[in-house]
Amino acid sequence: MLEAHQLGKAYRLGETEVVALAGVDLTFPRGSITTVVGRSGCGKTTLLRLLAGLEQPTSGALRRQGGPVRTGVVFQEARLMPWLDTLGNVSFGLRRRFPASVAEERSRVALETVGLSAFADAMPSQLSGGMAQRVAIARALVTEPDLLLLDEPFAALDAFTRRAMQNELIAIWQKKRPTIVFVTHDVEEAVLLGQHVLELERGRVVGHEPVDLPFPRDPTATAVNDHRRRILANLTAPAREPETAVLPAPDKEPSR
Amino acid sequence: MPRLSTLAVFLAALAAWHVASTSGWVTPFLLPSPQAVFETLVELAGSGVLAKHTLVSLRRVASGYLLAIAFAVPVALLFSLSGALRRMIEPLLEFLRQIPPLAMMPLLILWLGIGEAQKIGIIVLSCFFPIFLGVRGGITAVDRKLIDVGTVYGFSRTEIMLRIVLPSALPSIVVGLRIGLGYSWRALVGAELIASSAGLGYMIVDAENLARTDIVLAGILVIGVLGLISDHLLRYLISRKASWLSGDLEMARA
Ligand SMILES: Nc1ncnc2c1ncn2[C@@H]1O[C@H](COP(=O)(O)OP(=O)(O)OP(=O)(O)O)[C@@H](O)[C@H]1O
Ligand SMILES: [Mg+2]
Repeated sequence: MLEAHQLGKAYRLGETEVVALAGVDLTFPRGSITTVVGRSGCGKTTLLRLLAGLEQPTSGALRRQGGPVRTGVVFQEARLMPWLDTLGNVSFGLRRRFPASVAEERSRVALETVGLSAFADAMPSQLSGGMAQRVAIARALVTEPDLLLLDEPFAALDAFTRRAMQNELIAIWQKKRPTIVFVTHDVEEAVLLGQHVLELERGRVVGHEPVDLPFPRDPTATAVNDHRRRILANLTAPAREPETAVLPAPDKEPSR
Repeated sequence: MPRLSTLAVFLAALAAWHVASTSGWVTPFLLPSPQAVFETLVELAGSGVLAKHTLVSLRRVASGYLLAIAFAVPVALLFSLSGALRRMIEPLLEFLRQIPPLAMMPLLILWLGIGEAQKIGIIVLSCFFPIFLGVRGGITAVDRKLIDVGTVYGFSRTEIMLRIVLPSALPSIVVGLRIGLGYSWRALVGAELIASSAGLGYMIVDAENLARTDIVLAGILVIGVLGLISDHLLRYLISRKASWLSGDLEMARA
């Protein structure tokens, strides 16, 4: 179980302070799949970076229960190492834990799940944007993480590949049961993939929609559409708060 | 393979040279004809004089260049690991960088004599900074987003350095190495012109004293060709060992 207590992150931007995340309380039960929606700049990436331990909170804390976790992250951009071929990128983090042959074997399997077996020897510059992103997904999956954090991973994919990847993700989740936090700006995708959909607005959680439907979910089903409409209505409702996201910077303790 | 148009330009330059020297515009003493220079070159090669001087020069460049790499790379790495050390020493290095190596020649001659040490010293001084700055620049410019990937995997500082920072600094390091190689040639010939008893630079001044313009030109041609060959060798090595860098290589023309 992963819990956030009053988790907040503020960035100093010149004379002002941008509150990217304004003290949120969240619970991610072990083995659950949570999706996070919200418009651009609402703090989704910031939340994910905090969960990944890539950023220190400026307020509140994260609490983990249970042993150490292996975290896998799919960033908003592919972030492949330009000097490694596809296979080298996928096995990048495995080499320290496994002998080369095992690392390669596992990486080939992961490449197959994202449908890129034929491109094992390609360099990142030879891949399309969507292909590079799928390599990044394989790189995160191959370590068999217990906490899988994905930041708009399918945004660069066409509708068909995206649907296939969504199904693949659900299949992996059903098999290995990692805790998944999945960020997207696509409300339909959030409903299709999440047991819980968190609605984020200007660094605050403004809604929480439990979606209790069996997988795989049919995007044309009425129930899916009902959830989608409710979330959209909530997110497009008139602003609950005045412009609270940008505050004058306090004089003390500079934020990172 | 050189392209046809490249060859044509070289041939045109040769033709212009030929016309200038045979038409009588320039006295053969100031500009011997290409044929005369070629004959001299054959003669120098045949007598073993050319090989002797070339070997001396090549040995100096190789030792100086490798020595500079052996100094510059560790210093640059140390600076990247320790900010305190860098802030302490970098201003001094910045000061030294402003001094043209040839201006150090008199001092080097006083300190090291006119033997090999002084020539190798001048090469080290000349190519230390391009190499040093290449490594430093590459490490400073590393994409933080790639480091995140290693952090997520739980990499240690050393692992991040070896597996992410250094490989991504390679394009800039290669540029430094290539510029440094060019500088080392120039510095060497300069050093040999001033105080020496062997080497291609010496062969040129010696010929000047004997009024043998043909030997001077032959020496110049050999220096140019050797420089081109070493640069191509370095490029070949890089394209074999680090093919993803091929595009970055063109920045390195200096
Ligand atoms: N390193 C940083 N320095 C300063 N401000 C930052 C930094 N990272 C994020 N911010 C600010 O925090 C806010 C939230 O950014 P974040 O990247 O979390 O948004 P997001 O929801 O992921 O948006 P998008 O959907 O466009 O990716 C923005 O106002 C952004 O300007
Ligand atoms: Mg984002």
